[in-house]
Amino acid sequence: MNKLRHALNLGFAAFMLSACSPAPETEQSLKGLLYCAEGNPESFNPQLVTSGTTLDMTAAQLYDRLIEFDAKQQTFVSALATSWEISNDGLRYQFQLRENVAFHRTEWFQPSRFLNAEDVVFSFNRWLDTDHPFHAVSGRGYPFFTASGLTELIHSVTAIDEHRVEIRIRQQDSSFLANLASDFAIILSAEYGQQLLAENNAWQMDSQPIGTGPFQFSQFRKDVMVRYIRHADYWREPAASEQLVFRIAQSDHKRMLMLLTQDCDISPYPPARDIQWLRDKPEITLQDTISPNTAFWAFNTERPPFDDPRVRQALAHAVNRNAILNTVYFDHAVRADSILPNTSWAHHATPSAYRYDPELARSLLAEAGYENGFSMEIWALPVQRAYNPNARLMAERIQADLTAIGVQVNIVSYEWSTFRRRLGLGEHDSVLIGWSADHADPDNFFRPLLSCAAKESGNNRAQWCDPMFDELLSAAISSNDLDVREAYYLQAQNHLAQEVPLLPIAHSVRFQASRQNIQGLELEPFGGIQLRKVSRQSVNSEEQ
Amino acid sequence: MRIYVLRQLALLIITLFLLTVFAFCLSYWFPGNPVTNSSGIFTDDTLRYTEAFEARGFDHNILVQYWFYLEHLFRGDWGISLLDADPVFEQLKLRFGATLEIALLAMLLAIIPGIAFGVLAALNFRKPIDHIILSISLSGYSIPVFWFAQIAILVVAVHWGVLPIAGQINPLFHIEPLTGSILLDIFITQPENIELALRSAIRHIMLPVLVLSVMPMMLLIRLTRSSMLDVLDKNYITSAYAKGLSTRRVIASHAIPNTMQNVIRELGSMLSLLITNTMIIEVIFSWPGIGSWLIRSIYERDYPVIQGGLLMIAALILCVHVGLNLIHSWRYPQVRKDLNAAS
Repeated sequence: MNKLRHALNLGFAAFMLSACSPAPETEQSLKGLLYCAEGNPESFNPQLVTSGTTLDMTAAQLYDRLIEFDAKQQTFVSALATSWEISNDGLRYQFQLRENVAFHRTEWFQPSRFLNAEDVVFSFNRWLDTDHPFHAVSGRGYPFFTASGLTELIHSVTAIDEHRVEIRIRQQDSSFLANLASDFAIILSAEYGQQLLAENNAWQMDSQPIGTGPFQFSQFRKDVMVRYIRHADYWREPAASEQLVFRIAQSDHKRMLMLLTQDCDISPYPPARDIQWLRDKPEITLQDTISPNTAFWAFNTERPPFDDPRVRQALAHAVNRNAILNTVYFDHAVRADSILPNTSWAHHATPSAYRYDPELARSLLAEAGYENGFSMEIWALPVQRAYNPNARLMAERIQADLTAIGVQVNIVSYEWSTFRRRLGLGEHDSVLIGWSADHADPDNFFRPLLSCAAKESGNNRAQWCDPMFDELLSAAISSNDLDVREAYYLQAQNHLAQEVPLLPIAHSVRFQASRQNIQGLELEPFGGIQLRKVSRQSVNSEEQ
Repeated sequence: MRIYVLRQLALLIITLFLLTVFAFCLSYWFPGNPVTNSSGIFTDDTLRYTEAFEARGFDHNILVQYWFYLEHLFRGDWGISLLDADPVFEQLKLRFGATLEIALLAMLLAIIPGIAFGVLAALNFRKPIDHIILSISLSGYSIPVFWFAQIAILVVAVHWGVLPIAGQINPLFHIEPLTGSILLDIFITQPENIELALRSAIRHIMLPVLVLSVMPMMLLIRLTRSSMLDVLDKNYITSAYAKGLSTRRVIASHAIPNTMQNVIRELGSMLSLLITNTMIIEVIFSWPGIGSWLIRSIYERDYPVIQGGLLMIAALILCVHVGLNLIHSWRYPQVRKDLNAAS
């Protein structure tokens, strides 16, 4: 009896020991970078999307653009185009392309030539020309280009010789270069396109991507990860890491824990409530940037009662945005009194239009015939974005504020891709979402968000189309004189303050946390994240 | 015995048949278009919709439709997800492998200590050891699994920093998912740094499996203990002692085998419980199994996925139950006799 008990005890002790002994940290010697992303990419082609999650994971990693914007110097710099000329009337842009730029060489595509003008024409015509063989492929449309008016603006894209491309536009547009420098205007391979057409596999274009970027696609497992490997023949200095893996973890809290347990090297958008705590951790580096962004609450102006401006004004006055700054952003943000961020030269605040005044809200509601209130839905975006760390919590705050004026609120949320699809169809009453600048031009906050073209492309979250507002916007972009433009944008912002298709809530600081041994990581104010210069230092100095 | 096996198998087949009928009917019972609900193809995709409509026999009566449904089922065409158009069967295969991996490992991990402690407690009936084991198992059994998971993550991973908390393996290892079970995949693909990869996979698998094994382990302790106590009261134990057998012989060759008879019968219901817990654990540890996938499909009303998941899980639990019944009656003739007598 005793012997048996003894044997059992011993056995159990041995079992517990074997289960608990920690393995040495040899995995740390693996080469590569782990980036914890907040959601699945919708596609591997940024032309098709507007979501920052997808842009971060694709644009700067897999592709290059003709030109880029240098936020420090505030100028456009060369990328695939080494130089460019603009005709005197401002309607013709000529780009001289870089030579010896190699495309990715993979199992499914072996390029036979370097980048040339044909690739540029192919890439632009994909979203410009409805007869292009790839225009309808993957059927999502090209929301950024439609919404920002580029499809209307560009007359033609032609190859002049092997390395010269000319783009003709219909009228002067001061934001044109900025749009070309945005993450969306990437260059695809025409040769790959022809191969896919010949194989009858056109849909592969966006799921097995080929570009010229610093990394090339290797593997995608939904909800788990995306794997890229270094593009050895990259035209700039090759990427600093051999491998780049995006791990997909929706919860910000989980991502933060994964950063602490070394399951990730870099984690964007850490939870706002833990910022201070993370700052105090020696093994974590926390970076922040004033990135021009705006979180807003857009009303579906096509659905009653939100088609009545008085109702929208009432809702705007009912929300205590200062409290939201405190509880949702932990004061890592400033209150937004215009859709345009306060860092922009055209920013014009109209605080009185959005001030917290429940009394006024109630009387406006009564005026509109809703003295007994009504019930509505707020759609809260399910992922964390730079502009909104916790939309769910924000929705709950607004819900509480609206109860005070007799409006009942249901909070709705779906998985990110479903959420975006349904938003595009206009199924929402109102939505908490936002916008991060793709480039420095103020136009980026107006046309892609609130123009009639944006409504058509399913990107106008307020479903709001006001010809007068559109006129102001086109007047503003057709001039190069900053004073003239500023005057138009001032009118536009005043108009928004009257009509309130959306309530601007906050301009937020963007945070990014990384392990201390990560080098070369910079947080750019505009556009997606750049990872080609980032690497993990060897562990010797870091061993715990 | 043969009759009993046949009867069990017939029961299995009939139940599976009813299950497919039920799953088939779901396409009609769910709101929306039955063709879309079963194939995952939206009506606005006219070309493929008509194709699916004809392929699934929706222009015929309901019996023919059911026949086509079965045909698709066996062909491995379970439709595509309404959310992301991924083929359901392919996804299910990969994710189910991952789920089974931790569920089975947790079960294995639970069995040895669970039975050992149960026996130990029974042998020390109403002595301090018994009380300690009993109270630990009671509290372990009553604490929900997600709480255990959180504590494990905080203490073992975040505070001590010894184990990772997400995924199956460090994703810097490039392991092509074939079966979904990471250990099997490593053995099949044989990567060059196989030893490192295995070590990484084992470190990843440890926490979820440990946490998951708590509940069945505690259940097994209690079950083994009470079953053992019953057995120890039996006359044949007294007679074995009377024959002069040593305590060790009595316990090892008379008490424990008879105790197991009851325990094995309960393993089936334990598995059902375990699968549910596994889904929760998968969400917490980002384990790429069916858990988070099914939960999302329910939340988003992704009907083809719900149907596929329902079918797969129900079929698994059924098969395990029948399998255990067979083992049970094969190992224990008196059970068989009882069954035959009862019929």
